[in-house]
Amino acid sequence: MADIIILIKSAVMIIAAVLIVLTAFGLIRYKDDMERILYSRVHMLGVADMACVVALLALNEPLLAVTYFFLTPFASHAIANAYYYGEETRD
Amino acid sequence: MVRVNNDNYKGVKMDILTISEYILMAALAIYAIATIRIATRKTISMGIVGLLGLSISVATLLILVKNIYGIAYCETIAYALVILGPIGTIAFSKVIRGW
Repeated sequence: MADIIILIKSAVMIIAAVLIVLTAFGLIRYKDDMERILYSRVHMLGVADMACVVALLALNEPLLAVTYFFLTPFASHAIANAYYYGEETRD
Repeated sequence: MVRVNNDNYKGVKMDILTISEYILMAALAIYAIATIRIATRKTISMGIVGLLGLSISVATLLILVKNIYGIAYCETIAYALVILGPIGTIAFSKVIRGW
């Protein structure tokens, strides 16, 4: 039984690693001259955030995972809200 | 009589876990570099996006360091990063939005 749990943990961490690498590739792929690129980057960031939450659960850190799971949507919404209502005109 | 050595079997399983931890560590390092690249764009919002990604990547990296190398205080730094990273992002975004 312990071996199966170790295998599941390993698989979860490798899947999280793949998602994180894909997110890193997507973040630097697009240029800044695209319109409203910030929203898409915030969206991409959510993939890596949830992958990190799952990886933290696999690493036996549930308090960290739950804390970040509840905090990161507020942070993403705050960024998008600030960009929508703020004074920045570039991007 | 042939004896089955169970220690090797357990060792293989432990190696799979360690290898996956190293793979995750490498992926997080690549992600941290990408977020630093995003944080150095021209606008302030891009800086916030990059630093939010950097905080969680470094926190997960520190948890991996704690698990692999047994450095206990990395967990404390990770807790600080996970709590203060999004809260600082929210505060900075509120300032950019304007009250």
